[in-house]
Amino acid sequence: MPIALRRMCPLFASLLALALLAGCATRPTQDDSENDPLEPVNRNTFVLNKSIDTFLIRPLAVTYRDLVPDVIKTMVSNFLDYIRTPIVLANDLLQGDFHHLDITAQRFMQNTITLGLGDPATQGGLQAHDADFGLTLASWGAKEGPYLVIPVVGPSNVRDGIGLLVDTFLDPITWISRTDSRAWMGYTNMVSRLVVYRADSLKDLDQLEAQSLDFYAGMRSLYRQYRDGQIRANNPKQGGASPTYYELMSPALTSDTPITSTSSVEQ
Amino acid sequence: MITRRIFSAAAAGLILTAWLRPEAGAAESPEEAQKLVKQLSDDAIRLLTGKDLDAAARNLRFRELLTKGFDVPAMARFVLGRYWRDASEPERQEYLKLFEDLIVTTYAQRFADYQGESFKVTGAQPEDDKVVLVQSHILRQGQTQAIRVDWRVLRTDNGFKIVDVVVEGVSLSVTQRSEFASVIQRNGGKISGLLDALRSKTKELQSAG
Repeated sequence: MPIALRRMCPLFASLLALALLAGCATRPTQDDSENDPLEPVNRNTFVLNKSIDTFLIRPLAVTYRDLVPDVIKTMVSNFLDYIRTPIVLANDLLQGDFHHLDITAQRFMQNTITLGLGDPATQGGLQAHDADFGLTLASWGAKEGPYLVIPVVGPSNVRDGIGLLVDTFLDPITWISRTDSRAWMGYTNMVSRLVVYRADSLKDLDQLEAQSLDFYAGMRSLYRQYRDGQIRANNPKQGGASPTYYELMSPALTSDTPITSTSSVEQ
Repeated sequence: MITRRIFSAAAAGLILTAWLRPEAGAAESPEEAQKLVKQLSDDAIRLLTGKDLDAAARNLRFRELLTKGFDVPAMARFVLGRYWRDASEPERQEYLKLFEDLIVTTYAQRFADYQGESFKVTGAQPEDDKVVLVQSHILRQGQTQAIRVDWRVLRTDNGFKIVDVVVEGVSLSVTQRSEFASVIQRNGGKISGLLDALRSKTKELQSAG
């Protein structure tokens, strides 16, 4: 069994247990229902992740941003996207999304010419898109389940946590690197992704944290809304329309006074 | 991995959080709400991005555009959510003031390091009979993928006013509401806990910026 997978088994078991426990999952639109029964545990993991970030990932990301030439950075990002293709392809297929399946396949073939280091496909008008098994589960009607902060990975939920594990199984790199002599490939892939994504979000994430009154709660809300939006975009029929401003508004407000001093909203 | 897009999206949207100048007379159609967002972003880039502007002047101009283009009290109320009803009148007044101060200190100085992000309004449609959703794209220098930013524009008696900014599907007001609710809950359900947190955050941002 691949090393990464062997390591993930306890995580998988606990996620599964959580999934079974998680009967009720709500849309992240109701006031105050953050669907976070594990908040005390999650907050601890959040602090742990923050430390890992402060002492390991962030310094690596800063070094990467400052020392690596932009040309190389673009190549690295292209290559990481390129070797993720099997996961995207598999999930496009599992979602029955043949339009994106076709684009993903064409992109892969065109970018192979550059060994995945360039991205002629995007220049030719084939936009990249991402797919993962969490979204696939959602397209099959799975609810998000309780919010989870996964060590190292960050914000997630039971559905997306299971999705991450399945994506790891779908990833050829997991299987290629399953012998000890090639384990470095798996680790390199994992660490590069963390560092590159972190490098891309250095300023933004710092700003978000600086302006935040409760960074944990802010990230939780951000994650849930973002995933909800992705799911709606993927399945316009199933997802339904995005909630409107008035649907998002606390019932305590709509039943109370008009929303603005200046408008004449009747509720 | 979705984190990369979330973060760049969220912040880039925040950077260009826009400021609308209400035209004479109430705008009536989605097209007009769209024009107003466009006008607002032009004004923001023209008035706020100057390198030689000092912090106090930038804050002042920002606040002016903010209060003209946004219905700040409506946003504040939305963000406080159900706790608005629990708040006493002095608490409400204090909160409204602190909320506006927080927005000014959070965003005004971002315009100082504006790096030529391009802003394009791409469309508008009514969300319901009061709110128009204006869609826009922000493209950062050196990036190929634009960030999707939607503006919730409310029809008021004083013309259209922005009440929410939605970046890649993430509503800033909804995000802020969960933060504020969390702060209140962690302070034993007391609004005063939030007011303290707002005060110290604004102070912290002022001394950092």
